[in-house]
Amino acid sequence: MASHNNTLAETAGPEVSLPARKGHFKSDGLQLRLGILLILLTGIGPSLLGNSYWEHTFQLVNIYIAVAVLQNFLFVDAGQKSFGQGAILGFGAYGLAIASGIHGLPLAVGVLAAVGAAMLGGLLFALPALRVQGFHLGFVTLSAAIVFPQLLIQFDDVTQGINGISLYLPALTKPVVFGLSGLTLLVTAVPIAALLMHYGIRNARLGRRMRLAAESAEAARSLGVRPGLMRALGFMIVSAGTGICGALYVPTVGFISPQGFLVELSFTLFFVVVVGGRGQLLGPIIGIWVIYIVPNVLLVQLVEYRLLIYGFLTLAVVIAFPDGLVGTVEARRRKRFQRGGGEQGFRLAPFTETLEKIAPRQVPAEAAPILEVRGAVKRFGQVVALDGVDLQVRPGEVHGLVGANGSGKTSLLNVISGFSQMDGGSYSFRGRDVTRQNAASIARMGLGRTFQTPRIFTGLSVWDNIQLGLDARPTPLEPEMAALAHRFKEAYGEDNPGLLAHGQRRLLEVIRVVFADPGLVLFDEPAAGLSPAERAEFSRLLRQLSKRLGVAVILVEHDLDLVWDIADRITVLETGTVVASGPPQALARDPAVQHLFVGGAHA
Amino acid sequence: MLSEIAVIVIRGVAIGALFSIIAMSFNIVHNATRILNFAQGHIFILGGFAAYFLADNAGLPTWLLMLVLITLVIGVLVAAQGWLTLLPLRGNTSEQDSWMISTVSVSVIIAAILMLLYGPFAYSVSGPVPAFRIFGVKTPGAFVLAIAAMLGWYCLLSFFLRRTFTGLAISALSQDFDAARAAGLGVRRLQLLAFGISGMIAGSAGFMVAPIISVSPDAGMRYVLNGFIAAVVGGIGNNSGAVIGGPLVGVMAMLMAYKVGGAYQDLASLIVLVVILMFWPQGLFGRAAARRV
Repeated sequence: MASHNNTLAETAGPEVSLPARKGHFKSDGLQLRLGILLILLTGIGPSLLGNSYWEHTFQLVNIYIAVAVLQNFLFVDAGQKSFGQGAILGFGAYGLAIASGIHGLPLAVGVLAAVGAAMLGGLLFALPALRVQGFHLGFVTLSAAIVFPQLLIQFDDVTQGINGISLYLPALTKPVVFGLSGLTLLVTAVPIAALLMHYGIRNARLGRRMRLAAESAEAARSLGVRPGLMRALGFMIVSAGTGICGALYVPTVGFISPQGFLVELSFTLFFVVVVGGRGQLLGPIIGIWVIYIVPNVLLVQLVEYRLLIYGFLTLAVVIAFPDGLVGTVEARRRKRFQRGGGEQGFRLAPFTETLEKIAPRQVPAEAAPILEVRGAVKRFGQVVALDGVDLQVRPGEVHGLVGANGSGKTSLLNVISGFSQMDGGSYSFRGRDVTRQNAASIARMGLGRTFQTPRIFTGLSVWDNIQLGLDARPTPLEPEMAALAHRFKEAYGEDNPGLLAHGQRRLLEVIRVVFADPGLVLFDEPAAGLSPAERAEFSRLLRQLSKRLGVAVILVEHDLDLVWDIADRITVLETGTVVASGPPQALARDPAVQHLFVGGAHA
Repeated sequence: MLSEIAVIVIRGVAIGALFSIIAMSFNIVHNATRILNFAQGHIFILGGFAAYFLADNAGLPTWLLMLVLITLVIGVLVAAQGWLTLLPLRGNTSEQDSWMISTVSVSVIIAAILMLLYGPFAYSVSGPVPAFRIFGVKTPGAFVLAIAAMLGWYCLLSFFLRRTFTGLAISALSQDFDAARAAGLGVRRLQLLAFGISGMIAGSAGFMVAPIISVSPDAGMRYVLNGFIAAVVGGIGNNSGAVIGGPLVGVMAMLMAYKVGGAYQDLASLIVLVVILMFWPQGLFGRAAARRV
């Protein structure tokens, strides 16, 4: 398993090498190629064979595929479950049909109207998404799917109500190349474009940060990402794309009416994504085949039972194969070809070795405190978690925060990182008062943190988990660190974080936050669950962070030996108040807290 | 004018009572599992169908007998649904999102079955309480039943959740699953019970108020949405909030129907929902909870 890679050893020196193994964490590239191939086959194939029935069927199917691909992106990469994508498609279709079909405006204007209308509809989801998530948005989207066809009928002076709108575009049905019409080419190109967009965003910084916000709002905010903004952005991107699909829907079908956009369509699209496999690039395509094509084309006599079948199929998939059809195959593949884990699964050593080579950043001895907390008060109902806490941390200082369970350590960390608001007092970070700032802005000012339960995302590779930190970094990497990042990418790019031991996950989270180049890091019980060797590596890292990078650290830790060894100053909390604060030697003489450090009475 | 206001208020409060009943049936499941059952509106309608087929024009004793029977049967059915919903959720958290998919599919399944069996028609049901006049306005007897059902379930739930050991255990679940398990509570059994109770609430209410609701396969969606709005207005998980939120939403809906026409009722609900979520995401009477990190 742990064969060593020579080229790595050459660039890194002989001391530490990273493991190199074969295997692929994701099959996105393969799925993308397969998906494009399938869309090409069904999009162009029937026309080349001259079968107009299949040509027409697959034109509509390919539009639905494009809508489902976008919904798939929304579902997993942006983390939002929408039951209203059929309505957004309708907004787009009606945008074009009203502009060009009724008012005879040029098609370019019609397409713009389609995208605009769809985005207006999407705004209805995106605006509440700024504040809420999950089932709240589920109900909003469901409600929109129900209301949309009613509106089409209500505002019949605009939409022509149940009479619908016809729009034939003969120019689009003329052969352009190889006997293929413009319409055929468009309905083939649009789902391929949707698929490429999904793949492209997923592998870009935006996609990673969106996924981060979807997986853990807290981790996102701690890395400077506003989850609400990401959710809203996800809805808007998908709405714009769905609007284009809507514009294409009109000439494909030739006639639109409220009947085409009932809530059943939204449900069908949703079920397509789930049955195909949430988050799998190929999922929506396979999903459409199973959910739409088979019952509609091959089992025409069962049309009445369609929704019942969809419902049961989806329920069965969720219970028996939660990953969906493609997802289940992918999970098997991942299990068979997985790599990572073991003793070499993740280590700090390459990182600390590299830090040794970086010139130390000088911190002036009398530098102003990077963090200054004044009289922090935090209450939870009757319970006073913090009762007037003062705290000062200087740049480059390792500040230990100790105290019994319930003494207010984590409450203090949450208040400092902006996750909860103080009920009294104030604090400043880097000389600015940030008492009322939100967590994401404070993080962007250079405050990082880890969590008691490490926020490691098993849907991303080990390297992508690290890269989330780099994505949050405001400054370029030093050349040594850039080289190290490259080595990490080579070594961990295809590793499965699900195989990492608990201690390794902690260290991974630590590296992530350090790569984000913070000025102050809050570590919440970082040593819990670390092996003695990992613990030693971790203390070495802490020293280097403070001495070489000039990063200030607040360390909440029950292992008092560790705190005693590396902290420059220690603050002791008891029931929400500071009972002692100072260098370790001074605390050893302080009768109020002596018992904590002397003898074997470690908490 | 006065009688118009009276009509709006009486109708609004009575219809709103239905919303708050659905909101309370959301709340008990949400508190025990963090799940919101999207099928709750269809379960409510199921009670209405039961009233049409088993107790229409029946005498009071038959009606009462059927009420008890239907309440129990729907309770068991929803407990079974809960069992299915909880199957993929290991560790008793709703971190995973599968419950949203499974409860929505159950709502689609119920609507599809009702549609196949009984067609897209709305059935009218006559209840045991005759119509009466209030402020000179003829008022369906089921309005009284709606408000009685709301207050009855509210009192029952308050007593159950605060005074009985099982109820207190369910309340403890809403605080912390792990602590509840550490305290020796059978978390999964309590969650199934919560599902069952939510089914009893929605099913019995649907049965009792069948004369004033639209007993049709596609009506479930409208009730689940308005019930959700009532729950959000009152603060999700907060039954006292739901009892105020429901009638508030109901009166607002009636007022809207009176001013701009009933056809825009669903649009009005959607707008109210979006506005509430944007400006009062914790509800008007929600309680602040300690954030977990």
